[in-house]
Amino acid sequence: MTSVPGDAPLRVMVADDHPLWRDAVARDLAEAGLDVVASAGNGAEAIRRAAATRPDVLLLDLQLPDLSGVDVARQLCAAQPSLRVLVLSASGEQDDVLEAVKAGATGYLVKSASRAELLDAVRRVAAGESVFTAGLAGLVLGEYRRLSAGASGRNPNEDVPQLTEREVDVLRLVAKGLTARQVAERLVLSHRTVENHVQNTLRKLQLHNRAQLVRYAIEQGLDTDD
Amino acid sequence: MSPAQPLVDPTAPLWRALAIFRGVALAYAALLYATVFDEYARPVGGWLVLAGLLVWSVVVSDAYRRTRGTATGWLLSDLMIAVAAVLVTRWLDDPTRIEAGEQTLPTIWVAAPVLAWAIARGWRGGLFAAAVVAAADIIERGSFARTTVHNMVLLVLAGLIVGYAVDLFRRSDAALQQSLRIEAATRERERLARGIHDGVLQVLALVQRRGREIGGETAELARLAGEQEAALRTLVSSSADVLVRGSDTDLRTLLAAHSSVGVTISAPATPVLLPAECAAELAAAVAAALDNVAQHAGPGAHTWVLVEDDLEAVTISIRDDGAGMSAERLTDAAAAGRLGAVQSIRGRLRDLGGEATWTSAIGEGTEVELRLPRQASGRTRP
Repeated sequence: MTSVPGDAPLRVMVADDHPLWRDAVARDLAEAGLDVVASAGNGAEAIRRAAATRPDVLLLDLQLPDLSGVDVARQLCAAQPSLRVLVLSASGEQDDVLEAVKAGATGYLVKSASRAELLDAVRRVAAGESVFTAGLAGLVLGEYRRLSAGASGRNPNEDVPQLTEREVDVLRLVAKGLTARQVAERLVLSHRTVENHVQNTLRKLQLHNRAQLVRYAIEQGLDTDD
Repeated sequence: MSPAQPLVDPTAPLWRALAIFRGVALAYAALLYATVFDEYARPVGGWLVLAGLLVWSVVVSDAYRRTRGTATGWLLSDLMIAVAAVLVTRWLDDPTRIEAGEQTLPTIWVAAPVLAWAIARGWRGGLFAAAVVAAADIIERGSFARTTVHNMVLLVLAGLIVGYAVDLFRRSDAALQQSLRIEAATRERERLARGIHDGVLQVLALVQRRGREIGGETAELARLAGEQEAALRTLVSSSADVLVRGSDTDLRTLLAAHSSVGVTISAPATPVLLPAECAAELAAAVAAALDNVAQHAGPGAHTWVLVEDDLEAVTISIRDDGAGMSAERLTDAAAAGRLGAVQSIRGRLRDLGGEATWTSAIGEGTEVELRLPRQASGRTRP
């Protein structure tokens, strides 16, 4: 164990239907001193074992044989607010990555990322930071624009999350492949501030998503009362 | 020609229809006979023959329901029964009535075997059976009479037309079954491909990671695996959602082809729709910009392409982390006409009603921004 003395090692769980991949990732994490408390090969197993072992970080593949990774993220993030979900995907940035992020995942990595990148991402997600790829930043930017375009056309009163000008600047630079350090240099901000901006963009999207789910549930409930 | 045996025989409803025809025709024959049986030489024999036809109708209809006319024995027996019923009229009926050209005892019931042959064997079968029954008619009469010829022509026409229609029906049904099978097979193949692709992508990603860590020759393997991973990922995602709505094209699907180990494409999750020719021109401009990067940015440079779509404009940024150049050099080069790619990109955008701007600094790579206002593209955002 190479973890800092006095600091309990990070408890990590790996959910992936590919055993080869699952084992390799678990080994990497264990070698780096992290505590791999559980692994799961499908969605139902992931939900059950996460509830039983209460990991700090869940490494989640979006392509699972039973439930979608998005559903797993949604259920687990609702049940365990302290859980951090890092999405790993082989098939690239697609709609379901955005959905997983809206459901509460705070990080995203392609599977071809190196071991160092993976470890760094796990630690950052555990520390409460957001792990963005350029692709995810592009998706999030697009989602904000889609929401505001829809709002201006339909219902101006609808509470739609907006990005501040600074947040747009930050997201655009991340989407163009700049690292957080480069973004900070370019915009003359501290690294910490850049991180905050990035996290805010995700949090607003997640809050909006949750509010919409609640609103939808209430509307459905009211409709049945008629 | 033997088309693959379909799961559901297309002629099943025809056999049902024929069974009904048989019943109706026999009832008609019995009604007709009820009005004339006292004129017959052997009236009881006529009733017995009709009763026999009733039994046969039930038996053979059931046989056809089961065999669908594939058993020649039933078809031949059916035809022989009809011939016998026609011929026996000569012995049962009054010879003067026969001479006068009265109806045979089974009347139109004899069309049933003809139709059965037409359904089972096509127009040739229908023609053959009609000819046999017509011959029996002539023998029964012992001579040609106008009514006999009339009946024969109708019978032959019925056999031919129904047989021909069944042939056509069979062929179109075979074609339909074939296309249904192809469609099902395609869907299944796509489903399998998705699963396999995901597995292959995972293994390629794993090889890439491990290979890089091991280094040396294995690093080269890792690089190759990475290239294949990017190519396969592009293939999977582009075949999954190629979107063309009316004359509009999703710009993302056009750009996806450029995605590779060295090129990251970031775009919204929703389609970026532009008129087809407009999208093609923009994609060509991006391709030119990427070519330019490959030539000038130096080895190992990575490029990020960002597609943004808002109410006012579609914006594409192409940024590399290559060598870059000073602002003066950029303008100098453009002024001297040495930046062919730059000119061509700028020209394309100008023609579309948009603009292209460059920013670069030494050691910081180069960034091109292509901006196409929505009004210029002739479409507002849906």
